[in-house]
Amino acid sequence: MASRSLGQFYPVASPVHDLDPRAKILATAVFVVGLFLIDSTVGLLSVAAALVALVAVSRIPAGTFLLLLRPVLFIVALTVLFQVLFSREGVTLVEWGFFEVRSGGLSLGFFLALRILLLVSSAGLLTSTTAPVALADGIEDLLSPLKRVRFPAHEVAMMMTIALRFIPTLGEEAEKIKGAQAARGADFSEGGPLRRARSLVPVLVPLTVGAFRRADELAEAMESRGYRGGEGRTRYRELRFRKRDALALVLTALVLLVGVLL
Amino acid sequence: MRLELRDVRYVYAPGTPFEVEALRGVSLVVEPGEVLGIVGGTGSGKSTLVQHMNLLLTPTSGEVLVDGVDATTLKKSELRRRVGLVFQFPESALFAATVEEDVAFAPRQLALDEKEVRERVLESLRVLGAGELAARSPFALSGGEKRRAAIAGVLAMRPEILVLDEPTAGLDPATREDFLALILGLRNAGISVVLVSHDLDEVAEVADRVCALQEGRVLAVGTPAEVFYRDPSQAPATVRVASLLRESKPEIGAPVPFGETLDALRALRGA
Ligand SMILES: Nc1ncnc2c1ncn2[C@@H]1O[C@H](COP(=O)(O)OP(=O)(O)OP(=O)(O)O)[C@@H](O)[C@H]1O
Ligand SMILES: [Mg+2]
Repeated sequence: MASRSLGQFYPVASPVHDLDPRAKILATAVFVVGLFLIDSTVGLLSVAAALVALVAVSRIPAGTFLLLLRPVLFIVALTVLFQVLFSREGVTLVEWGFFEVRSGGLSLGFFLALRILLLVSSAGLLTSTTAPVALADGIEDLLSPLKRVRFPAHEVAMMMTIALRFIPTLGEEAEKIKGAQAARGADFSEGGPLRRARSLVPVLVPLTVGAFRRADELAEAMESRGYRGGEGRTRYRELRFRKRDALALVLTALVLLVGVLL
Repeated sequence: MRLELRDVRYVYAPGTPFEVEALRGVSLVVEPGEVLGIVGGTGSGKSTLVQHMNLLLTPTSGEVLVDGVDATTLKKSELRRRVGLVFQFPESALFAATVEEDVAFAPRQLALDEKEVRERVLESLRVLGAGELAARSPFALSGGEKRRAAIAGVLAMRPEILVLDEPTAGLDPATREDFLALILGLRNAGISVVLVSHDLDEVAEVADRVCALQEGRVLAVGTPAEVFYRDPSQAPATVRVASLLRESKPEIGAPVPFGETLDALRALRGA
């Protein structure tokens, strides 16, 4: 747990955390589709304002939430740069030899940057306000109509749950093994890429061996408790779609509609 | 070498809801040539503490001193050779195709020539009573054998201080006796040993001094007698029995460790 992975579930109590995961998944889907229908910067800005308000309601500290955007900053910067360099629209603002900044490029760059940031933020808000298990339950439920065409919705969701559950465990295990090898003189930061990749062998081998052992143990534990797939299986936590979930969905749709119209 | 920790604090995941203050101002010295036992309940910070001894973790605040010199100014690789740290469940870090190769990992990092590496590997395995395992795969060994191989892998660096985090956890009594004998053997050879353990009897048996941790703070440091007799509820079984007996029979003397009791009985029988 040394480094929190991005968009990891942030366990605090908030109205957003409280929503039915299905409502949140659907709202996020609506949001993402809506983002691509909005064609004005004003529209995006109004949606952004709504998202900022939502993050505030979710009680996730602004700093923690903004960390989520760090990995895409490079892409965002690149997008803006390309628009500014190559766009031939609008009036010239700055001229400097070959280099020319036009208003059209600047505003298009801003528009695209905003769209990327909103895309990542909405997905991040979903994963940081929804426990992984709830997320998988929600996905299973939303996919369950596909069971009729023999799509293994339960199995897919169970695999997701298990994978999500074991990512932090494997991360901890990796930290421990890295520590143990460092105590034996391993150095993971020295040398070129090839040497660094080689230095990871003493970590990856025991990690893999441990992962297989864990998988075996888990399978045995599940079998010994009578697990045999999704057929007739009830849930510990029943999902309940309440009024406020419907309200949240409607509000999201409304906000995006406003964005599209603006 | 003399290793000193001064007012060490350590916080895991600072600034997140998962923040844990694992050490809250620990000061402790490992004197040259002593066996220092570290005891404490689960979660008291023992593993966190020992990882500061070779700076796998750097203190959030406070200092680690090697012979009076700030350890952060020393070369990390050199420090890690001089302070050999064996993790809790070290067998989970075995990785090579044979035990011999695995034990050779650390000496090879020291850029020794192959002859010297081989010598050290064989010597370490022999000291751990695992000489016959050299050619076997580390993944096909029993738990106790794996543990021996893993400890040999650290000992092969010829550290000046050997730090063992719960080396006897989950082992049978015979292997555990072997390990305790090994610890005393190392001490006789002038190597300091730090022994983290949940087993107070075992600590009472081999440690020169004991440090008791509780919630990231040092509760007591001193000889086993000083630390264990102060609070009988914390004492090893022999001490608890003795202090109970003493309530009705004040003429009973100070309790002795299990090993000494056994030796005394053997001597009596032999006499
Ligand atoms: N990687 C980590 N991330 C976050 N917290 C941790 C981490 N490792 C340990 N902790 C926390 O720090 C505290 C001290 O843990 P530590 O492992 O040092 O205890 P310990 O005394 O070795 O326990 P045990 O006897 O069970 O091995 C515990 O509260 C633990 O939950
Ligand atoms: Mg521990």
